[in-house]
Amino acid sequence: MTRHERGYDIRSLQGLTSNTRDRSGKRGDPMGKYFHESTFDSHYDGRFAESALPNEERQIHLSHLLRTYLATMNDLGAETWIMHGSLLGWWWNRKIMPWDSDIDVQVTEASLAYLAAYHNMTVHHFAIPAVVGDSTATGPKGSEGRNYLLEVNPHYENASPGDILNVIDARWIDMATGLFIDITALRKDVAAEKAGVPGRMLCKDRHHYLSTDIFPLRESMFEGTPVRVPYAYQELLEEEYGKKALTVTQFHGHVFEQEKMMWVPKFGLAVGP
Amino acid sequence: MSYRAGTYDDSHRPLIDLIPNDSLYVSDEEDGFYDGEDNYLINPKWKASVQRVCNHIPRRLQRYLAIYIGLLVAAWLVWQTFFSASYNEHQQQIALMDSTTKETFGSNLRPHFKHMIQVGTMDKKHLPVEDKRLIVIGDVHGCKEELQALLEKVGFDADNDHVILTGDMINKGPDSPGVVSFVEKIGASSVRGNHEDRILLTITDMENSHVALPGPQENANRTNDTLEEESFSQGDYKIRKLAKKFSKKQIAWLRERPVILRVGHVHGMGDVVVVHAGLVPDIPLEQQDPYQVMNMRTIDLKTRVPSENRDGTPWEKFWNHRQKKLPSHKRMTVIYGHDRKRGKNIQKYSKGLDSGCVGGGHLTALVIDSKGKNKYVQVKCKQYID
Repeated sequence: MTRHERGYDIRSLQGLTSNTRDRSGKRGDPMGKYFHESTFDSHYDGRFAESALPNEERQIHLSHLLRTYLATMNDLGAETWIMHGSLLGWWWNRKIMPWDSDIDVQVTEASLAYLAAYHNMTVHHFAIPAVVGDSTATGPKGSEGRNYLLEVNPHYENASPGDILNVIDARWIDMATGLFIDITALRKDVAAEKAGVPGRMLCKDRHHYLSTDIFPLRESMFEGTPVRVPYAYQELLEEEYGKKALTVTQFHGHVFEQEKMMWVPKFGLAVGP
Repeated sequence: MSYRAGTYDDSHRPLIDLIPNDSLYVSDEEDGFYDGEDNYLINPKWKASVQRVCNHIPRRLQRYLAIYIGLLVAAWLVWQTFFSASYNEHQQQIALMDSTTKETFGSNLRPHFKHMIQVGTMDKKHLPVEDKRLIVIGDVHGCKEELQALLEKVGFDADNDHVILTGDMINKGPDSPGVVSFVEKIGASSVRGNHEDRILLTITDMENSHVALPGPQENANRTNDTLEEESFSQGDYKIRKLAKKFSKKQIAWLRERPVILRVGHVHGMGDVVVVHAGLVPDIPLEQQDPYQVMNMRTIDLKTRVPSENRDGTPWEKFWNHRQKKLPSHKRMTVIYGHDRKRGKNIQKYSKGLDSGCVGGGHLTALVIDSKGKNKYVQVKCKQYID
């Protein structure tokens, strides 16, 4: 195995991280797994952070993470759109839901190949002003703003969902906080096509869709940034989360206040679903 | 043995007469034996009167009565086994349609999209007054000949009549660009159908130069596109091919068509709106989910979530039910297309006009005059698709 296939460890990222110790869960991970979640929280990259953020602070960084990702993909001309929990957040009020700890995006196979060929391991700098309560407003080496890393899993060429160690095709990583976005490619379901059922698509994470439910994409706004959403957004949400997810206004310790069009935390509400 | 005369004479009288008091013996077979105890089923007096009445009814009539009672029991059994369930379901449906729940569809911030107009308003000058008419036409799907034949049949007069299309004027049929040009020429109104929506999104995607650029050196202004194989529409080449047939002007016109067209107040019909597929009752037009307005067929009554599949209650059934609950000035009549399977579907507050023209059915026009009179005119269509 080449070093490339084993992933870039903390030594190869010198000067790009403020971490002194590698907190990645690499040692505990099976051989052949490319991306390593941190030892302290599966939503962080242990090469760039040593601890998790407090909840409210995390949401600010998630928003930055999302906006920088969307802007970069747009600049590079890569086609991406939101799915799962992020799509549900968009549907309710075009914002990340306050209890959501990650962001879900998909890209086309062609876009992924393009990112892998030309933009893998590129660092993208954004002049993001400091936010109140933000302990990581300045990036490593005291530079203003923040750096993000685009890293593609070399196993992306293996389209098989059987490659369970590498269901994530790429990551967009906040190099100051270790937070990241998992990027998965939506691929043609070649097996179904051979069996005479065209128009089916799947991801390595085993989610599968009809291409006509995803494409053509629609242009909307999410967290104040242009975003693409799948064609049949509501049908997809209903299939994944059920009708109730589109009607219930008390969820996860929050109430959806229609005057504000916001999920507001409510004391005394159960945090579980 | 000697008999005295006197004794002899006595012997000629029946012995019973010799019993001094005949009340000693009481027979239990006599009617009065059980008198004073209330253990009879029917009071003998009533029984007697019933019998008396029965004797007056002819035997034949009595037989019929027995047959009728038998039939009644049979009918009840049939009701219980076959219809009771669906009747209960119907009652339940009514109860659900009447219920008001707080957690219902439409509480979210309505999805908003680039290049999509949610609500448009028809110019008041087109409202049917005096000898003006409104002509609303169902899904044309590129059937230009049939559209023109229909307008001829209703005696379309460009000075007095205004045409409104319920969307899906393009795709499937023989001449989509021709229909757009013609409709634009006669100054018709239209709404955005799911087919216009898909084509317009595809066109926008084709205009954006993204996906698999062969590298940063690539000229951004290239005219040929190499995206054919891998791009967005993922093999939906038919849509792509059709998208290329429209001129810039036609595309611009199509983009301006709203998802919902507010026609205004029509005498005898109240407020009239035109959409392609349907509306969810009790949600303001601005708040209606645009995807569903272009795609819905049914509504789940419990959650009020609309859907394009047919599992729930037909949206128009719910719509009509809810309109009748509103004060008359708040009621709204929806004219729509989209549902070829249910075909022409006319109810008090909903008028479905898609009668499957492109599949060899009919193209339907609803002609509304200034008195609010509705007239339906149809032409037969050639079969262009299965």
